[in-house]
Amino acid sequence: MTPVISVAGLVKSFGRTRALDGLDLEVEPGEVHGFLGPNGSGKSTTIRILLGLLRADAGDVRMLGGDPWNDAVELHGRLAYVPGDVTLWPGISGGEVIDLMGRLHGGLDRRRRAELLERFDLDPRKKARTYSKGNRQKVALVAALASDAELLLLDEPTSGLDPLMEAAFRDCVEEMRRNGRTILLSSHILAEVEALCDRVSIIRLGRTVESGTLSELRHLTRTSIAVETERPISGIEEWPGVNDLVLNGTQARFDVDTAHLDTAVRHLSELGVRSLTSTPPTLEELFLRHYGQAPDPEAGEAA
Amino acid sequence: MTGSGVLLRFLLRRERRGLVWWLLGATVLFGYQSAGSQSLYSTPEDLAKLRQTMGGNTAIVAMSGPTELLDTIGGEVVFEIFGYLAIVVALMNMFLVGRNTRSDEETGRAELIRSARVGRHAPLIAALCLAGLADVAVGTLVFAAGVGTGLPVGGSVLVGAAIAALGLVYATLTAALVQVFQSTRGVYGAVALALGVSYMLRAAGDVGGGALSWASPIGWGQRTFPYSDNRWWPLLLSIAATVITLLAALALLDRRDFGAGLLPARPGRATAGWSLGSPYGLAWRLQRGALAGWTAGAFLLAAAYGSFVDSVQDFATDNPEIADYLGGSANVVDSFLALTLAIMALLAAAFGITGVVRMRAEETSGRAEPVLATPTSRGAWLASHLLVALGGSALMMAVAGFGEGLAYAFSVSDPAQIPRLTAVALVHVPAIWLLVGLAALGLGWLPRFTAPIAWTAFGYCAVIAVFAGSTDLPEWAQSLSPFTHIPEVPLETFSATPLLTIGIVATVLLIGGYVGLRRRDLGY
Repeated sequence: MTPVISVAGLVKSFGRTRALDGLDLEVEPGEVHGFLGPNGSGKSTTIRILLGLLRADAGDVRMLGGDPWNDAVELHGRLAYVPGDVTLWPGISGGEVIDLMGRLHGGLDRRRRAELLERFDLDPRKKARTYSKGNRQKVALVAALASDAELLLLDEPTSGLDPLMEAAFRDCVEEMRRNGRTILLSSHILAEVEALCDRVSIIRLGRTVESGTLSELRHLTRTSIAVETERPISGIEEWPGVNDLVLNGTQARFDVDTAHLDTAVRHLSELGVRSLTSTPPTLEELFLRHYGQAPDPEAGEAA
Repeated sequence: MTGSGVLLRFLLRRERRGLVWWLLGATVLFGYQSAGSQSLYSTPEDLAKLRQTMGGNTAIVAMSGPTELLDTIGGEVVFEIFGYLAIVVALMNMFLVGRNTRSDEETGRAELIRSARVGRHAPLIAALCLAGLADVAVGTLVFAAGVGTGLPVGGSVLVGAAIAALGLVYATLTAALVQVFQSTRGVYGAVALALGVSYMLRAAGDVGGGALSWASPIGWGQRTFPYSDNRWWPLLLSIAATVITLLAALALLDRRDFGAGLLPARPGRATAGWSLGSPYGLAWRLQRGALAGWTAGAFLLAAAYGSFVDSVQDFATDNPEIADYLGGSANVVDSFLALTLAIMALLAAAFGITGVVRMRAEETSGRAEPVLATPTSRGAWLASHLLVALGGSALMMAVAGFGEGLAYAFSVSDPAQIPRLTAVALVHVPAIWLLVGLAALGLGWLPRFTAPIAWTAFGYCAVIAVFAGSTDLPEWAQSLSPFTHIPEVPLETFSATPLLTIGIVATVLLIGGYVGLRRRDLGY
């Protein structure tokens, strides 16, 4: 299958700042792809290049089989976009904005529009000047989700939403996935990405540092183990890939490189396991590892 | 009140650039008028004759002020300029107060300030102090301009005080209306309406018995009769009005929520109407209010000019030497028509430029981004806004010509003036479009400088238009303004060639702007 989005070696500078420095990104059809990175790492710039609003300095960018800069208008007919910071026209009501965006897209599903307004609990009669940040975000979300676009570009779409609305948003994304839509979801809310995304790309300073499914990425990090055995545990520090050991007779807590998990479990079973809890690494740990607060930076380099 | 001092210092810093221009404008207005009047009517005989002709002319009295002012040359200056000066100073106060209170609340900036150790009244008090300082400065500068051009000291002090007092009335009036309306636009609309009503009341009063003038803050100022009677007591009315509106503003402020107005905001439509469905519909929706306002203003101003034409003719017949100065008594009506329509053309160009500058604001605010992420091409987005800017400015000219023609036609009972002046007004359209085209070129290639480029060009054309006859600017400097190439109909005969040339240049600039916009990054 040809990827929906395929970016290789993307470079973009603004004056002397290099916003993107050889970024790579592949989004397969039908997947929800998490686009992770801290503020200012280049997520929005990448999305603006995909929208043809900015022109790439170097690199290959293909989206939906076309060139985002030259074929912008045709491609825009097949995608919907939610900006990270939604600004609206103060004197125009939310309902009017939703209809306008729908019509610019070539029509929208009235039934779906009504249903989304209900789900996001949005009053369409209020003028945009009186909307809170969250409500402006909802206007953009309803406009995008009511369209029948095959690709959705969502730039931190839940940054102003309360937890209830965030849940409503997740339900909508699940539905979209079931309908076979492709979604690029830029975010720094890791729980959201973990819950929604099939694959993840982590970027830093305008460059992709990690990309793959969540399980692939987890493989590169450590699993936390808490264990109680029949016989006293000894020699554990000799096992490969073990870190941060806390030993107390027959009880132990330690982290193990996921690559060496199997060896550790085999050693433990020889001691007679009474209870065992293993916690897979969270995305947060993965993420932090790339941004300087890693528990052990060498582990990252070795991987 | 806590924090007012700190806020005032901040506001002074924030407004210092704009304020200089307002102060300079007011000073130049008064100083220029004073110098001009004194050289034109240098002898007491001139002044006596002027009193006869001007004082007996209803239209001139309605446009200017009470005839009692015409006793001295200083009074004559006040008679001619005080109305305009009042408008400039009232608008300055409206913007100073409105921008630093309601529009800060509207954008949410004030929330941050109010969350600090700052009292509820502090932002309003700080804005009013800023306006008060500006009014004192205007008063002092007008005084200096008066004395500097050789007018008596006593009268100059009074006229300075009168204009400062008038400014204070409008500052506190704005402060009170800020509490009522939730949007800055609503506030400005209400203040502008109040200003228009004041002007009309004083016009009606000065033409009639004078009673209605006492209902207008502009009337209070004029009726101090600086340089002639020099009476101070009418300023007590200004001070009383200032105190009452200030107390009202503070009382109303205590009765409303932050960000809200006393008038609840009307809810909008739940669904979009048929017209809001394309980039063109959006551009129309965003600019229709402004276009309606500008067009209505153009119509009223042009109608006022039109009603004036007949008096100009009489005036020229009575004052052959002034008629000579204006280009001969036979031509004086036509040259007046040409001049006033050129002023209308500048107004229409200003509207067109605001349309292009607005596109840049759409871009930097992020509002253009979601529109351009739909199958709307950059060309369609540009075309939609330009269509309103170009079409709207042409409409303004047509309406201005119609209005001037209508009023003139009534006063001389000649309906043929209506189509004639409408056609004459439309002759200016290519030059207006050239300025809009220049703004579009800026938007395409030097987006950050769109507004400075467009307004500098506009200012240049305005200066050339106003001072072309009276100064000896070199030929080439004048010819830089497209308006100087427009045949001065009805004074000159019409010729199509310059219009075509200007039209072609305008088209080239517009296309150039499109080419630039197509190839550049958006939003930066």
